[in-house]
Amino acid sequence: MLVIFIHMQVSSTEIIYLIGLCSIIFLIAPVFLIIYVLLYNRRKRKHAEEKVAMQINYENELLRTQMEVQEQTFKTIAYNLHDNIGQLLSLITITLSSVNVNDSYKTAEKISIIEDLTKRSMKEVKALSRLLHGEELLGKGLTAAIEAELDFLQRSDRYKINFTKHADIVFDDSSKAIIVFRLFQEIINNIIQHARATEIFITLEQVAGMYKIIMRDNGVGFDVDQTMTTKTGMGLLNITKRAAMIKGTAYISSVPEHGTVIILNIPITD
Amino acid sequence: MIFITYNTVSAFLCFLAALIFLVKDKDPAWRLLILFLLASCAAEVLGVYMRRVMHTNLAVYNIYLLVECGFTSYFYYHLYNNYKHKLRWLLIWLGAFSVMYITELMLNHFSDFASVSATVMSVVFVLASLLYYFLKLQDDRFEPLLTSAPFWWVSGALFFYFGSTACNLFFDFLKEHDYSGYSRSVRYSVFILLNIILYTCWLFSFICRYRQRKLST
Repeated sequence: MLVIFIHMQVSSTEIIYLIGLCSIIFLIAPVFLIIYVLLYNRRKRKHAEEKVAMQINYENELLRTQMEVQEQTFKTIAYNLHDNIGQLLSLITITLSSVNVNDSYKTAEKISIIEDLTKRSMKEVKALSRLLHGEELLGKGLTAAIEAELDFLQRSDRYKINFTKHADIVFDDSSKAIIVFRLFQEIINNIIQHARATEIFITLEQVAGMYKIIMRDNGVGFDVDQTMTTKTGMGLLNITKRAAMIKGTAYISSVPEHGTVIILNIPITD
Repeated sequence: MIFITYNTVSAFLCFLAALIFLVKDKDPAWRLLILFLLASCAAEVLGVYMRRVMHTNLAVYNIYLLVECGFTSYFYYHLYNNYKHKLRWLLIWLGAFSVMYITELMLNHFSDFASVSATVMSVVFVLASLLYYFLKLQDDRFEPLLTSAPFWWVSGALFFYFGSTACNLFFDFLKEHDYSGYSRSVRYSVFILLNIILYTCWLFSFICRYRQRKLST
């Protein structure tokens, strides 16, 4: 076995230049470190910008939701004024104009009718006022606003409302309450417009840090997957999108001729 | 004319920039930088003078090491202020450095440069710079670092102290073997390069600071 020993003598000048070279190499490390920090910071800026954009988007959506809630309330008021109170007042006018003061028997009968019509008109006005107040109730709690909305709906006698409350829905963030209320309004609207239902079941629950709102009807139902691809499905997509905006979920299930169930799961805190 | 060297000129230019850009700064720590740079200039000039006249300038740089350690430590502490760092750590470090410095000088009989203290100080300042970067990366708030005065001040310091590590570690060897012609010494050349990088970063930092002050008013 041959072992070769190579003896190298390194001169001090070479060591000195090696130290100099090491110093230069030592300068390269901070350069890369600074580049890394700057690149990471740029990513942080991008993230911050995205966050701001999301916040603006959320605020815009919230504003739109608030306007929709108001619009819905005004639409109901306009509809009611025209169809109910307007009709009642017309009847009162017609009855009044047909009063013959010489026919005391018929006059008494007509006055009684007018009295009844006026009472009904007042009832309608009070209900409308409660509806307007319902929107204000949002400030005090979502449950109160939902109850006010259901009260108004029940008055039409078109639907049998089954409302079960296992929990009071209260959010610290008022914007969250507005969005949930709008979701509720939108679902009720869908039932009124498309479901042809006679009975509506609404349940409020609280399960493991989440509020659960279950809304069911006995209407005609629909094919969820198919509807989602059509223009009508936009409303359903909107419900899902808005629920996601407040970190919640909207589960939509429907079978043609067997009604629809929509379950909203909204986290109590962020 | 003997006083005009790369080191004296770069230090003086940086001092001038500090005087122009920081003299009206609201933060006393940044204004104190002017005095520190004046001390640096004085040390460089005195260092040249002592080298020419007395053939050794170790005493100048030994005294300057104290000023450098005191001010730089305070400035790092000041930069960490936003992150609620305790004064206790600054005092512990300064106490430990003083003990180490005095012990080293006594062991050297006050006739050599406190190179071990300088090396330890460099390592601590490198760690302090890394900690600053770490805090910046951890911080959720975004800050435009490209135009951030503290960031460039720390970067300049990191270049200088990290780059000088090799020379500090082999100080004794270089002192013995790298002495033929001072201006051609590798150690001297490395420090010229480090000083130029340090002062360029700091100069940019002062400009950023000035721009920030002007924009805020």
